[in-house]
Amino acid sequence: MQGHEPVVILAQPRPLAVVFVAVALLAALLAASPYARVPTHGTEVFVAAYGAASFVLEIITAVLLFALFYVQGGAALGMLACGYLFSALTLPAWVMSFPGVFEGLGVEPGLQTTATIAALRRLAFAVCLLAYALAPTRMAAEPPAFRTILLTIAGVCGAAVLALWLIDRGAAVLPPFMRDRRDINALWLHVAGTVMAVYLASLGLLLRRRKGLDLWICLVIFSLVIELLLLSFLGGGTRLSLGWWAGRLYGLTAAGIVLLALLADTATIHARLLQSSAAERRARQNRLTAMEALSASIAHEINQPLASMITNADAGLRWLARSKPESARVEEALRRIVADGHRANKVVSGIRTMFMKGAQERAPLDLNAVITEVLLAASPEARIAGIPIEVALDPRPAIVIGNALQLSQVVSNLVENAIDAMRSVPGRHRTLILRTRRLASGEVEVAVEDSGAGVPAGMEQRIFEPFVSTKAGGMGMGLMFCRAVVEAHGGMLRVSPNRPRGAIFRFALPAAEGSGRDAGTGA
Amino acid sequence: MSATSIVYVVDDDPSIRDSLDSLLASEGHAVQAFDSAPSFMAADRPDLPGCLVLDVRLRGSSGLEFQRELTRRGIGIPVVFISGHGDVPMSVAAMKAGAIEFLLKPYRDQDLLDAVHRGIELDRRCRAQASERAALRARFAALTPREREVMPLVASGLLNKQIAAQLRLSEVTVKVHRAQIMHKMQARSLAELVRFADRLAADGIADGPGDTFV
Repeated sequence: MQGHEPVVILAQPRPLAVVFVAVALLAALLAASPYARVPTHGTEVFVAAYGAASFVLEIITAVLLFALFYVQGGAALGMLACGYLFSALTLPAWVMSFPGVFEGLGVEPGLQTTATIAALRRLAFAVCLLAYALAPTRMAAEPPAFRTILLTIAGVCGAAVLALWLIDRGAAVLPPFMRDRRDINALWLHVAGTVMAVYLASLGLLLRRRKGLDLWICLVIFSLVIELLLLSFLGGGTRLSLGWWAGRLYGLTAAGIVLLALLADTATIHARLLQSSAAERRARQNRLTAMEALSASIAHEINQPLASMITNADAGLRWLARSKPESARVEEALRRIVADGHRANKVVSGIRTMFMKGAQERAPLDLNAVITEVLLAASPEARIAGIPIEVALDPRPAIVIGNALQLSQVVSNLVENAIDAMRSVPGRHRTLILRTRRLASGEVEVAVEDSGAGVPAGMEQRIFEPFVSTKAGGMGMGLMFCRAVVEAHGGMLRVSPNRPRGAIFRFALPAAEGSGRDAGTGA
Repeated sequence: MSATSIVYVVDDDPSIRDSLDSLLASEGHAVQAFDSAPSFMAADRPDLPGCLVLDVRLRGSSGLEFQRELTRRGIGIPVVFISGHGDVPMSVAAMKAGAIEFLLKPYRDQDLLDAVHRGIELDRRCRAQASERAALRARFAALTPREREVMPLVASGLLNKQIAAQLRLSEVTVKVHRAQIMHKMQARSLAELVRFADRLAADGIADGPGDTFV
């Protein structure tokens, strides 16, 4: 399997910028620390505002991360997204249970609830960050299916609800973190210490790895460490002290960093996407123009001797029809017709050698490998078009004797057609399935099944003819080429309707001898 | 060959050239074939009514361009285009520039021969008109300045008396001028003189009748 580039490449922050921001954060901490223990009064109302701001920041970050995860996969991104989502989901409960914020509304949670939720949130987020730091960032060969992502999100939501429910019910059994409504106890310091240890471990790992979002996350961790320092130690562990509020500001900064990075990149990604789809369209247009130019010049090359032959034949007839037929002129005309015939034939055979250059180079090859390679190239386009590709390959190598380049062009043509055919079909009905299987006759069959518009009735045979296309702007060359190549390989390309809609294109090629039962070593 | 007309063929494809030569010759046309526009221009062409069969796609230049150049140089030979790949704009351009016909290869022989025939007839008519106009111009040149002054007045239908009054001449003098004009212009009647005057006016040689002096 070839490694492939992520579809989306996140911009890296400049290390110098990271250091600068880190130093600025640290300087702010030092400036704030002398006043950290000063208590404030009546600032409970800001807790709700803080909570709302953090919630929005974290939930948007989670959504963007899941989107990125969907596009390029990689367990690390998934873990990070889960962390943000869980953190965001537990936040409202934290705000609701905060002493003095919603008491006017009759919300009367236990003394420990807020701190227990906070402990859970911080531990869970720290664990997710560590998992992010440990998981591979390399793009997965197979990005996650949409369903996997939905299940993950549902799982995180379920876990958050369950945890909150348990905290609410099990207040009696859970360890206390608060001495009173304002002050923490020693156990909280253990939680804070553990979380900071996990943060620092992650920070170490990320600073060594420095890929993708890593440097951004380093800044996040840095802010979170400062936040914890202020909340738990410098602020004297007292809620609503100046240090506590300063810590909250660091927390907001932390929540905003990844979001800003992602939003900035989303703009870049969008621009790049537009560019690449424009480039794709241009390339397609160029191919069409080249084909048009080529077929025009071929038409001219063949038309020329044809016109000459017809004119010569007309002239010959006229010389014969004269009252005194001139056989010498007739003979001349006939000779010229023969020469023109040879000339036309030369043009045709020239075209044939041009198109089939290297067609004679055949070697044993694994059709499964050909398909895998084509899919690797086609999957970004399919993903952007929102078409999931299923692959059902025969586990045994499908060895045939053939021309790898031509056969991969055939498969890629069929896949491209299938994707085009499904663009107009509503999203959840889109499926593209590629199969290989060994037939009883000893042949290897390749099938490309789509759920697109299908082949119009009566067109099943015509679509293989040159210049016949059911696509808007199609040249009508692709399927003709496919059929010619498959036939040259001793097979036959057929189309049949798919159920409930779409088309199945299949061809079977004779399997190479010796690869029947035992796994061949392949090409 | 004592031909009364000639067909020129300009096509860079020798087999097309030869086949056209043979086809046209079988119908009794005298044919001169050229492989390019410059060799056509350089050739010594007989002064006969003719027609040019021209390929749209020529090596080095386009047939349409060559058609424009012919017009610029005042070579008014009718052109029949033949083309391997004709699109509508191209044929429209050719026809607008005065082509007789725009035929797609492979063309029907009768279509080509008909077009060539029409071209030759057109050229014959044009040449006849041109020589008549040249003769007329020569006759007009032979008039004295006073006669040239009198002729448009005569052609506009004024009586001798009126002309005499206008030019402050005696009526007898005008009568003499009129006889001289009729004689020199070889006009058998006043109607014919009027026609001659019109034609000269169309060529911008003489002023139209009526608007001589104020």
